[in-house]
Amino acid sequence: MSTQKETPDKPVVEGVDYDALEDLLGETVIDRESHLNAEGFVVRPDEVQDALFTLRDEAGFDHLSCLTAQEYEDRYESIYHLKKYDDPTEEVSVVVPTSKEEPVSQTAEPVYRTADWHEREAYDLIGIDYDGHPDLRRILLPETWQGHPLGKDYDQDKPQLVSFDEHANPLQEDHADAESDTMFVNIGPHHPATHGVLHLETTLDGETVADVDPDVGYLHRCEEQMAQQGTYRHQIMPYPDRWDYSSAGLLNEWAYARAAEDLADLDVPEYAQVIRTMGAELCRIAGHMLAVGTFALDVYGDFTAIFMYAMRDREKVQTILEDLTGQRMMFNYFRLGGVAWDLPEPRDEFFEKTRDFLDDLPEALEEYHDLMTGNEIFQSRCLDTGILEPEAAKSLGATGPVARGSGIDYDLRRDDPYGYYDELDWDVVTEDGCDNYSRVLVRLQEVEQSAKIIQQCIDLLEDWPEEDRDIQSNVPRTLKPDPDTEIYRAVEGAKGELGIYIRSDGTDKPARFKIRSPCFHNLSTLPEMANGEFLADMIASLGSLDIILGEVDR
Amino acid sequence: MIGLLKSMATTMKHALDGNTFTVEYPETAPEVSPRFRGVHKFSQERCIWCRQCENVCPNDTIQIVTDDQRNGEQYNLHIGQCIYCRLCEEVCPVDAILLTQNFEFTGDTKDDLVYNKEQLKNVPWYKDIDPLESREPDRGAWIGEGEGELDYQ
Amino acid sequence: MIAQQKTLLPDRVSGLLGLGQYGVAGDLVAAFLAAFLVGNLMLAMTGVAGPWAKRKITAAFTDRIAVDRIGPFGLFIIVADAVRLLSKELIIPKNADRPAFDLAPIVVASSALLGFAVIPMGTGIHLADPEVGLAYVFAVAGIASIGLAMGGYASANKYSLLGGLRAIAQNIAYEIPLVITGASVVIFTGTLQMSEIVAQQADPLVTVAGITIPSWFAFVNPFAFVLFVVANLAEVGRNPFDTPEAPTEIVAGYQTEYSSVYFVLFYLGEFLHIFLGGAIIATVFLGGPAGPGPAALGIVWFTIKIWAVFLLTQWFRSAIPRVRIDQLIQIGWKGMLVLSFANLVLTAIIVGVIV
Repeated sequence: MSTQKETPDKPVVEGVDYDALEDLLGETVIDRESHLNAEGFVVRPDEVQDALFTLRDEAGFDHLSCLTAQEYEDRYESIYHLKKYDDPTEEVSVVVPTSKEEPVSQTAEPVYRTADWHEREAYDLIGIDYDGHPDLRRILLPETWQGHPLGKDYDQDKPQLVSFDEHANPLQEDHADAESDTMFVNIGPHHPATHGVLHLETTLDGETVADVDPDVGYLHRCEEQMAQQGTYRHQIMPYPDRWDYSSAGLLNEWAYARAAEDLADLDVPEYAQVIRTMGAELCRIAGHMLAVGTFALDVYGDFTAIFMYAMRDREKVQTILEDLTGQRMMFNYFRLGGVAWDLPEPRDEFFEKTRDFLDDLPEALEEYHDLMTGNEIFQSRCLDTGILEPEAAKSLGATGPVARGSGIDYDLRRDDPYGYYDELDWDVVTEDGCDNYSRVLVRLQEVEQSAKIIQQCIDLLEDWPEEDRDIQSNVPRTLKPDPDTEIYRAVEGAKGELGIYIRSDGTDKPARFKIRSPCFHNLSTLPEMANGEFLADMIASLGSLDIILGEVDR
Repeated sequence: MIGLLKSMATTMKHALDGNTFTVEYPETAPEVSPRFRGVHKFSQERCIWCRQCENVCPNDTIQIVTDDQRNGEQYNLHIGQCIYCRLCEEVCPVDAILLTQNFEFTGDTKDDLVYNKEQLKNVPWYKDIDPLESREPDRGAWIGEGEGELDYQ
Repeated sequence: MIAQQKTLLPDRVSGLLGLGQYGVAGDLVAAFLAAFLVGNLMLAMTGVAGPWAKRKITAAFTDRIAVDRIGPFGLFIIVADAVRLLSKELIIPKNADRPAFDLAPIVVASSALLGFAVIPMGTGIHLADPEVGLAYVFAVAGIASIGLAMGGYASANKYSLLGGLRAIAQNIAYEIPLVITGASVVIFTGTLQMSEIVAQQADPLVTVAGITIPSWFAFVNPFAFVLFVVANLAEVGRNPFDTPEAPTEIVAGYQTEYSSVYFVLFYLGEFLHIFLGGAIIATVFLGGPAGPGPAALGIVWFTIKIWAVFLLTQWFRSAIPRVRIDQLIQIGWKGMLVLSFANLVLTAIIVGVIV
């Protein structure tokens, strides 16, 4: 457990009265520790639900943002990072240590449904057993995997031997049971509508979806482990681009940058913050364009116009981003303490190019509205389909446009400000429809808001005094944060809350690096939306979730 | 019904205006920005074999072999594995390695994509753009092969 | 107005080649030659439409260039694609129901070709002119549903099965409005004979400023025309009614498991059905081969008309979302059927009052 050194310039998040919380939790708390983002209450492994129920119902922590599991020399530990949807700056962690010999911890699934997938992942990668979990299977790795790869005793060189009978034909069972009339269909991993390698184990009753179980992990690339093997200063930054690779790279880089900068106590010059904000919003536009285009593809069916128009506009954004960062998708543009490059010279040309894009954007959006939201068949396909009630969305940890499409007014850019967002004038878009249509509307309107932000950033950058253009603060060449410092920080990625947990161990590489992927949680809402709906609606719902499998599987 | 007609009108407008946003590659080679990061170019004349690029590379793309006097013998770069993060160029104290705008390379096998220092030296500029002009200021011109004033070996 | 060619194509072939003297055998040869000619004409159009025109049209709608590498305007892609498709390995699923699996693509393609037998294409290209022409063409076009269901069922694939079921449900739902709407035209004409239907549309409807508008049934009864075009879209399974294929939902529906030659046959069959639909629309509503200029240009006008219908399907494909299967069935049974009967009754009353 970390004993955090009190650093006066980095106060623990204000606004939460931790002593009152401790009193509230009473006897369940056996110890207390400090993380950079919040206080952590250590709870006995068989009292997890009590503690979480109390925190949720009596203290209002209704958002299980992340669950980080890790193995220490002497114990396993699960950290539940809790937040409030109303005010995500109010955070608290629940730390659950379990013994090495018997790593069993009570499940949090009855409290937060999103814990279902979280705990499966923790079980899969670390090996903690969650007692009472309804369905504790592996989630990222194949069912036949031996060992838990993020555990300390895992032998990476040991070959994974899978006996032949474990590869028995998975298609054999195609009815839920012998009597029923349902039909089991594998949608994916190679299917035109799964946006990558997603496998939906679907049980159909005629055309109706009786049950759907997303099977993820086909694109698992050990991103967390790779980050744990990279140095803070340089080697981690190229990889966030590869989580959500829908051109939303800068947003992901910011997630890492924010966590690491707070961890190592680095400042970012204001000028760099403005550039970051502008770049991130450009990325958001690009990401949303892809989302809207592929959603249209799912609903329209063929390789239709709207997809190509969206791609065309996305290409324009990418060209601007290429001018700025040097790459169209894998930017590697942020550095700890700033950005890699100043705006490209000649600056006027860059501003003009960006302005041209912003000027053309309303017309392009008008076209999208003509083609999509105004189209009666599109409306009949999307309105009132794929309903995600706000309560379910919160419990399942949905964030981003998915949550905002369910009327949850939650946007970290405004609620937990970072970068330059709180200085700018923009609005958080919400829609109350809770259906596929609302999610599309939210995305299209967010593009407008992003354009508004970029516009303001450009104006700021244009007038920025030349002598004050610091793009990077002075950052040591090797970063070694204090040992056993823990931090969890999140930013608003294109798909939602993208959080990073880092625990340092005094070396120049993180001891534990955990990614809270918004797509992972948004995808877990699919059964909620699709069960009982038509097959076509399930496909549309999946499209409206806008998942990027690279981020789901990491 | 209005919405449907609007949809159809919009697509027809695009069909009739004759604009396309795709190009006929390779006849029309795309413009790449000056900062674009493509295949590496390496200057043995400039390299001081400090191995910083090898150290910073996030995925072991660069392999440097030196003799026991620490004189450089080999400089291999697996271009098929590279993620074009440009960290090697960033840390290089003498501008010996540089990411050109050139993104066109092929190989029949993975082995073909492992470039040794000769191949890296011969990577052509893309459209004769010298990328250093757009790079960080004050890094000096990246001099051509054999024209360097300093021979670090 | 153009006088209709009264001689049928087999007779002319027979006359040209002097086959009449050989009796029945001669007639057979002549009929075969004529059918060969018409069949190849339609297949050639399909060949242009499938690998080339469809791509070019879609590309125009989506601001792209599309095939332009081989030959002028990329036209030789047709050859390249034909070679590519035919030389692919024919993969037959292990559990496929063999005779049905093999027959399905043939049934789909041939049912469409059969339909062209009674279509008067102008310039004397008209194979047969039975008195029940319109009923015949609906009947043979309907055979395709059997092919789709066969393919879907025999493939031993769940997506195919779903696609086949959807195809059946859809064709039944839209066949009836289609035929009923066609019947409303028959009330006008009083005959099912195709040549007669075409001939009756040659009469002038109104003359406005010196331009005579012929009494094409599309002008006489635009409501029926729209109904027919929509029902026909569903009948041939094009957007927004392409649910039997629905690539994003059920991969490719009934043709998921088909590869190589069988796939080509399915693909040909689909395009032939679009063209057959276009031919029926042209014949019943657009005056068949009629158009300005000499009668010898009939086939040109006819071709233009069916390509216009093809273009329309591609336009819809780019602009209109697919409806869901339940919406499709609802539109069919609750919307189209009612409207088509209303149209029939109204037409009957109007015709009864006027005539």
